[in-house]
Amino acid sequence: MRLSGAETGKCYIVESIQLPEDKKRRILDLGITENAKITVENLKTDGPMIISVRGTRLALGRKFSDGIIVWEMKA
Amino acid sequence: MKELRLAFVGNPNCGKTTLFNAFTGANQKVANWPGVTVCSVCGKTVFGGTTYFLTDLPGIYAISSYSEEEKVAMDYLSASDDVIINVTDATNLERNLYLTLQLLELEKPVVLALNMTDILEKKGICVDEERLGKILGIKAVKISAKKKSGLSEILRLSEKAIFPDGIVHLKNEEVNIADMKPKERYILIEKILKEVLSLKEITLQKCKPDRLLTHNVWGLPIFLGVMGIVFFLTFFIGEYIKSFFENWLESFIVGVYGFLTSKNFSGAIVSLVCEGIIPGVGGMLTFLPNIAILFLLLGFLEDSGYMSRVCYVMDSIMSKAGLSGKAFIPMILGFGCSVPAILATRTLEDKRDRIKTIFAIPFMSCSAKLPIYVMLSKLFFGKYAPLLAYSMYLLSFLTSILILFFLCDKEKKESTLLVELPEYKMPDIKTVSIYVLEKVKDYLAKAGTTIFFASVFLWIILHIGKGGLTDNIAESFGASLGKMLVPVMKPCGLGYWQIIVSLIWGVAAKEAVVSGMSVLYGISNISSPYGMAKLTSVLKASGFCGLNAYTMMLFCFLYTPCIAAIATASGEIKSRKTLYTALFVQLLIAWGVSFVFYRIGRIIF
Repeated sequence: MRLSGAETGKCYIVESIQLPEDKKRRILDLGITENAKITVENLKTDGPMIISVRGTRLALGRKFSDGIIVWEMKA
Repeated sequence: MKELRLAFVGNPNCGKTTLFNAFTGANQKVANWPGVTVCSVCGKTVFGGTTYFLTDLPGIYAISSYSEEEKVAMDYLSASDDVIINVTDATNLERNLYLTLQLLELEKPVVLALNMTDILEKKGICVDEERLGKILGIKAVKISAKKKSGLSEILRLSEKAIFPDGIVHLKNEEVNIADMKPKERYILIEKILKEVLSLKEITLQKCKPDRLLTHNVWGLPIFLGVMGIVFFLTFFIGEYIKSFFENWLESFIVGVYGFLTSKNFSGAIVSLVCEGIIPGVGGMLTFLPNIAILFLLLGFLEDSGYMSRVCYVMDSIMSKAGLSGKAFIPMILGFGCSVPAILATRTLEDKRDRIKTIFAIPFMSCSAKLPIYVMLSKLFFGKYAPLLAYSMYLLSFLTSILILFFLCDKEKKESTLLVELPEYKMPDIKTVSIYVLEKVKDYLAKAGTTIFFASVFLWIILHIGKGGLTDNIAESFGASLGKMLVPVMKPCGLGYWQIIVSLIWGVAAKEAVVSGMSVLYGISNISSPYGMAKLTSVLKASGFCGLNAYTMMLFCFLYTPCIAAIATASGEIKSRKTLYTALFVQLLIAWGVSFVFYRIGRIIF
């Protein structure tokens, strides 16, 4: 599934990044790499989301959250 | 004396600027707007017989060329042979060490400064800095930028800084980091942290203020409320301090007048100084408290970590206008001054986004327009004055967003927002005050140059007419020019040559509209109660009433920005055609809106 379809409060594992090369590189530099654990802290429908990954809290626009493919981590 | 050059490199929000300020104090050349600076800052400090030249590079996450900050940092590092002081946030080593690994590959001496270890230790986690240094093949030191501990240690270590060998020396393996992929680097960092941290995983605490501040419904009203408070304080505290300035200015003018007449200077020179220069420059200086307070408050908001939340809160609206929430930060700076705001658009990655934002910025009412609003609203609206002045800021906020909607590309564009939301913190007084000081200096420099020459020039064209030097302003060249334009401005209720000349003068600098009016209506201290009463009666006698005043406020907020802003925008846009079109459109919008507002107002009132 895409990260943009995630739910607040749940944890996800990154499967792959499907973004243009420069944007993908930026996402990777910030630690959103394959197998990284992402917690969704807040999100607006069709808008941006707040996630935490590797001890960092990030606000992601729709372009990025659409390009990050994740699977849900069962609690 | 021995000299050594140090370059401070680190992630945004790692306390790098605080550390830099702790070293250099007031010795630095350019103040740093935290988070949005895209230039390096220099300073120096002397310690133990060595002079250290320090450079604060913009905060970066990685060495690549994704953002302008990274390009600036990379250009500097590749051209210099400075010792790199890599400042890291110890509470977030996992991401901070990513940049460290890249710095190790540059073949330059590196010292690793672990900031905020005290906060980490409060959470019960210890970091073994000696072990970390050994693993990375450099020296590492624990510091606290805020408490100023470990500062001399950094300088001491930088004298014998080690050139890293590009190999990570783990307990059981040696890893060559050259050409590693990001994913492999993060796996390596996880391994390093296992060896140096007393606890395996640092969990991010839930950010309680964010439950409200980034709330999907309440986030926006709260933000508007915060900005309301900012302008309220700017207006009220500023006004209070201003009254002192005014009294001082008044007695100063009387003193100078007495001095000049006693020394038998000619009437023209006395007039030039007492009616041209002092009211022009001094009138602008009385607004200094307002401007200082505005930048102080904006600096506090930025340094506390709230501004990046604003990016999130504004992203939904901004993305409908085809921009990311990040573009909103330069626009907020536009409330202060268009020049730094236009420069701050460099943090936006997309070039088209930058041009759109640069076009919208002048519509955010800059602090130089504040004197105009303050004066006009005080003249005509009594106790409602603060409300009406604030209404201009709300209007300018809405207008600039509306402008962005018009400029939006037709194809749907998704937001490319990507910002870190740092932990909230108590703003660092030093960082903020250095920033405010720098803004005040800029403002004073402008008063000393642009406004000075504008005042002199204004005086000259107002005192020279067809018959040479004249005491009657109405016969001067300036008046003729204003009178020529009266038919154009009459439909907007601004058909007064004095007002038109002031507005033209506003293009030199917006504050000049106020000083222009004071000179043109012959009132020496326009912001004193006496001066105000006098101006009100003169204006009212000529049929200029509250409606005209509010229309003039509207016109001032919309029309062409000042020369400094135009010059900055031209440097950034690099296209004359785009620039001229923008300026013309701005003038047209100002006239159109004023016309419609004034006409409707006339029907209602």
